[in-house]
Amino acid sequence: MTIVKLDKKLAINPLKVSQTLGGVLALQGLFRAIPLVHGSQGCAAFIKALMTQHYREPVSIQTTALQEMNIIFGGERSTIEAMETILNKHHPSLMAVLSTGLTETAGDDLIGTIKNYLKTNEPNCFIFPVALPDFEGSLESGFQLTVEAMIRGLVEQQKFTLPMKKKQNQINLLAGSFLTAGDVMEIKKIIQSFGFSVITAPDISTSLTGSLQKGFSPLSQGGATREQLQGLFESEMTIVVGTSLEKSAQMLEAAAGIPYRLFPSLTGLKANDEFFSFLQSLSGKKGDSFYQWERDNLLDCILDSHFYFSGKKIVIGLEPDHLFSIVNVCKELGGTIDGLVSSFSAKVLSNMEEDIFIGDLDDLETMADNADLWISNSHGEKGADRKNVAFLPIGFPIFHQIGSSLFTSVGYRGTTNLIIKMSNLLM
Amino acid sequence: MEKYVVEAFAEPACEHNSVNQAHKGCVQPTPGAASGGCSFDGAQITLLPIVDAAHLVHGPIACGGNSWEARGSLSSGSYLYQYGLTTDLKEQDIIFGGEQKLRGAIREIADRFSPPAIFVYSTCVTALIGVDLDSICKSESKVIGIPVIPVNSPGFVGSKNMGNRLAGNALMDHVIGTDTPPIETPFDINLIGEYNIAGEMWDIKELFDQVGIRILANITGDGRFHKIRWAHKAKLNMLVCSRALINMARKMEEKYDIPYFEGSFYGAKETTLSLLTISYMLNNQELMKKVRAFTKAQEEKLAFDLTKFRKKLLGKRAILYTGGVKSWSIISALQELGIEVVGVGTNKSTMDDIERIKERIGESAKLIESGGASKILETFRNEKADIIIAGGRNMYVALKEQIPFLDVNQERHHAYAGYVGLKRLAEQLVYALEHPIWELLQSPSPWKEVGKE
Repeated sequence: MTIVKLDKKLAINPLKVSQTLGGVLALQGLFRAIPLVHGSQGCAAFIKALMTQHYREPVSIQTTALQEMNIIFGGERSTIEAMETILNKHHPSLMAVLSTGLTETAGDDLIGTIKNYLKTNEPNCFIFPVALPDFEGSLESGFQLTVEAMIRGLVEQQKFTLPMKKKQNQINLLAGSFLTAGDVMEIKKIIQSFGFSVITAPDISTSLTGSLQKGFSPLSQGGATREQLQGLFESEMTIVVGTSLEKSAQMLEAAAGIPYRLFPSLTGLKANDEFFSFLQSLSGKKGDSFYQWERDNLLDCILDSHFYFSGKKIVIGLEPDHLFSIVNVCKELGGTIDGLVSSFSAKVLSNMEEDIFIGDLDDLETMADNADLWISNSHGEKGADRKNVAFLPIGFPIFHQIGSSLFTSVGYRGTTNLIIKMSNLLM
Repeated sequence: MEKYVVEAFAEPACEHNSVNQAHKGCVQPTPGAASGGCSFDGAQITLLPIVDAAHLVHGPIACGGNSWEARGSLSSGSYLYQYGLTTDLKEQDIIFGGEQKLRGAIREIADRFSPPAIFVYSTCVTALIGVDLDSICKSESKVIGIPVIPVNSPGFVGSKNMGNRLAGNALMDHVIGTDTPPIETPFDINLIGEYNIAGEMWDIKELFDQVGIRILANITGDGRFHKIRWAHKAKLNMLVCSRALINMARKMEEKYDIPYFEGSFYGAKETTLSLLTISYMLNNQELMKKVRAFTKAQEEKLAFDLTKFRKKLLGKRAILYTGGVKSWSIISALQELGIEVVGVGTNKSTMDDIERIKERIGESAKLIESGGASKILETFRNEKADIIIAGGRNMYVALKEQIPFLDVNQERHHAYAGYVGLKRLAEQLVYALEHPIWELLQSPSPWKEVGKE
């Protein structure tokens, strides 16, 4: 169990993306929201292009479009001009102003700017700033920091009404950035099947899944509404999926006395047994018998496929929470973990038995000499090809595939889906 | 860096700087209502297609990490350009200036890949902290013994177009004119601004091969570094649908006496015109004769092949909203297929481009100057159009509104250049318009029926 940080001068085939992208993703899960990326216009354009390629959906995003002079004389004027343009033109319900490496290096005081603006203006829009320099972290930390900033902002707004009366049977779901829209939908369905109503924030399952809603808007369509966000403080329990969002749950606990339960992963048999047991004891119900079938199917699938995993060497490059989740399921399947790379050093990684390298996909490639299966985002495809290793694209970004955001690998059935994909590659 | 940008701004062949425009330079983007890439993006679009070179991004992860492998330039052999190489600056690196890291990265690339050249791109952060890219590249080049070329085009100096131009300047200052070709022919030309998206350059080369025109250097589609070094020995430059690199063509005329012209390979008419122009400008009777016969035969064959498509496409109304691929040249291609272009995006067009658009579609068609997606949809509805032809960025805008769509930008998967390209364009347009999904979308869902009862 070591996290190895490689002191490298050159990153070759990076695994990670910028934190700002994680922030933009979080905002897609909020209804009528828009992330305003504080940087030069490329900072937003690259994110938009990459997310559009992956999700195959329109992506809500705007930019302060900084030019050299704006930075030298301070980005404040551009920030306010951009905010007012968006407020007047599109009337969003929510706006997050996300900083970038550029504005952080320039020392732009984004948080102060927004604070001052809100002192003298009262827009009918929930606005909050998030510091997301891209010289640290990756997608997961950007998403995490944005959810934390959102909750901080909500607590600030609600401070006179807290603590609120709790609604029986209402549960908060904080779904980590490694979960696909299909995953989030599946987790919601499972919780609901025990008779709970669920508030998910952010909720990408209703915004990045491909609805047939017409009527173009530059704002996000789908996701948690502002009313639902306020409802977060009235739930009796918070379920967190992914260690990265644990702090967000702790913030809700501190502000409104809502206890939480963390599930680092919902992929694999044991993870789901724990999840269903928890829901059973919380609801006092056995749950839908349908899920018993799904559990049987999963075990049967492992029986059928276990030959293909034994002795097989697997190398994995993913964001921290995702890595933890996939490593666990690979171990249940009897595969041998032969090399792990992650994008930055996060808490969840220090709980793992294996050595983990904080590095890039070129590091993974050097570990893949004898591998049988390579699991990473699509940037790993060429490396896997060069090493002649079977390749499973998961994570972000995924190119050349339809339906990555609908693919489900949580719950018993989702785990079965994933095992089928992996087995077919190994067989 | 300042001097590069000032020079690029002052480009005399750019009409924003003409006397009656009072040197106001390029338009500034509006905060909160801007779209499109930055100068760093533009520089990479122009230089990344040099497939055997290493392309190193000096900056924090956003610039390299969010952008690599997202472009459609194809290679016929060397794949180093597909590697995502970046110094991935951390906070400590930025505090200490990042110079040692950059030097280390350059040396590691030289050791590991032995490339013919390394292009090093500055980014907003490294420009802001004052990294002296020129001197670092110069001294590293001496150490490793291969050209290390500084590309001073950080995102905040302007748009993609500005980046294209700055990249052109980098080639002029550091690459072109540094070597000579082993043999020269009177039929040597350079293609400037053709990036081999979906393999279009290969179709163009095929045409050239048949009449005996030789591409001396591809600038830069499927480009090789050593060939670009001797580009100054060409007899003619053809600027392919890209005014953004006009500075390069103009400078080569000035410095090396190479004439240039702007042309396109979209549509049979433009393709023929381009081939004829090359033969006239190379001033070779034999070649002219060959080209005339060849283009005539090609056009005749194509006209026959297109008959069945034209029947289906005649009178269809299209909205065209493109970025890099210039609207005016695609308009000609669409018109040849019988399609009426009823709205054209001009947000990235130069004033000359707009004149050319008007020449082709007349005054009645709507010009969409800005406003992005919502303006495109508005024009689509007002003009009762049948299809939107645009870049990938707007694809899901169209599909969400259940409108047929064709991608003609840098992520496109089909090559539309030349005679064979026009046939492909016709084919893809028919596929898009006649797909069964448009009918499926109209069928009522069972829930809707139940609700009615």
